[in-house]
Amino acid sequence: MESYKDEDFAAQAKSILERYPREQRFALAMMQDFQRKYDYLSQEAIRQIAAYLQIPSGKIYSLATFYKAFSLEKKGKYIIKVCDGTACHVRSSMQILEEIEKLLGIMPGGTTADGRFSLETVKCLGTCALAPVMVINDEYYGSLTAGKVREILKKYGDGGGADEE
Amino acid sequence: MKIRINGIDCEAQPGEFILDVARRNNIYIPTLCHHDAFAGEARCRLCIVEVVERGRSRVVTSCVYPVAGEIEVATDTEKIRSLRKTLLMLLLARTPQNETIKKLAREYGVTEVARFESDPQEECILCNLCVRACEQLGAGAIYAVNRGVTKKVATLFEEPAEECIGCAACAAICPTGAIKVLEKEGKRIIWNREFEMVPCSNCGRPFATAEQLAFYRARLKVAPDRYGGDRLCENCRQKRAAELASLMSPARLR
Repeated sequence: MESYKDEDFAAQAKSILERYPREQRFALAMMQDFQRKYDYLSQEAIRQIAAYLQIPSGKIYSLATFYKAFSLEKKGKYIIKVCDGTACHVRSSMQILEEIEKLLGIMPGGTTADGRFSLETVKCLGTCALAPVMVINDEYYGSLTAGKVREILKKYGDGGGADEE
Repeated sequence: MKIRINGIDCEAQPGEFILDVARRNNIYIPTLCHHDAFAGEARCRLCIVEVVERGRSRVVTSCVYPVAGEIEVATDTEKIRSLRKTLLMLLLARTPQNETIKKLAREYGVTEVARFESDPQEECILCNLCVRACEQLGAGAIYAVNRGVTKKVATLFEEPAEECIGCAACAAICPTGAIKVLEKEGKRIIWNREFEMVPCSNCGRPFATAEQLAFYRARLKVAPDRYGGDRLCENCRQKRAAELASLMSPARLR
């Protein structure tokens, strides 16, 4: 994941924007590209997209706040998605979520102060057999219990995460 | 073609919306999200009416329902009144303290809001008129943000609006008066931003923001020396125009 750097951002933005014609219908595709590359949409990214399309920035902001696929804040290094689909819900996914909230001191949508974890809920990960399940970045953890959650988070905590580079 | 609204024969063009035909014939249909300057969006849905076509009756939103054939329309049947009552109950649940909504709700006999929790501060019904006015007349400074129960009209990043020109068109068009404008001591405060107002060259009343005048001049390509370079408020502009017209009138020249 790359981070937004002020000095050369205009040039980086240009390389994404110029893949598309200056037409409003490509706004979402551009936003997705920024989201993919930087993990979130910065205010400057929103302004650059709007300027390229020659529309008010508010219009892009409106789209960005509508879709859950976009984040407006820098996310943590590890994004924890706790499934709260029907299957997980009936297998007490809310207890799993509460345990994580307690351990990290953040609510869904939040990011820890050290920038290590972000917490989200999702409405089904499509792996109901593993319920209750969560995914941290691309790693799935199934049949969770509060105890398991503590162990897993420890792995990602200080002293190096599971996929620390 | 002819359509009948509440038993009155009305002339209508194919494709014309029922609401427009009704209004032209002085038949009242309540609306909140409709404004003559814009096409209907069927957001508030208060303009629902019953349409009988080929012997079948159904409920349609008159602001977006185009007349295609000879239809029979009823705007105030028992069924419609009961549906509007539900709509107004829901609107009142959203904006419990808003005078416009309270008045309409009373007219339709809504006495209490059941089941819903309300925010007593909320006055916006999300009709979108302000967003459209801002986009059409000016800056595109406000848009709907978020969705579902958190949806609202807001400025870019919900900060004091940098694009805003302070024209207050959003507040003027708002059917419920949800958008607050504060004017005092030659200043206008709207969307958390303070604007200096320009006094009228004739009567001295502060009447518009500098940003607003500059924006319109550029957009309308008005020469800065119109009215001898004076910046006139609406009243004085009308007076000045009338004076100019009377100077040129044939009666005077005779």
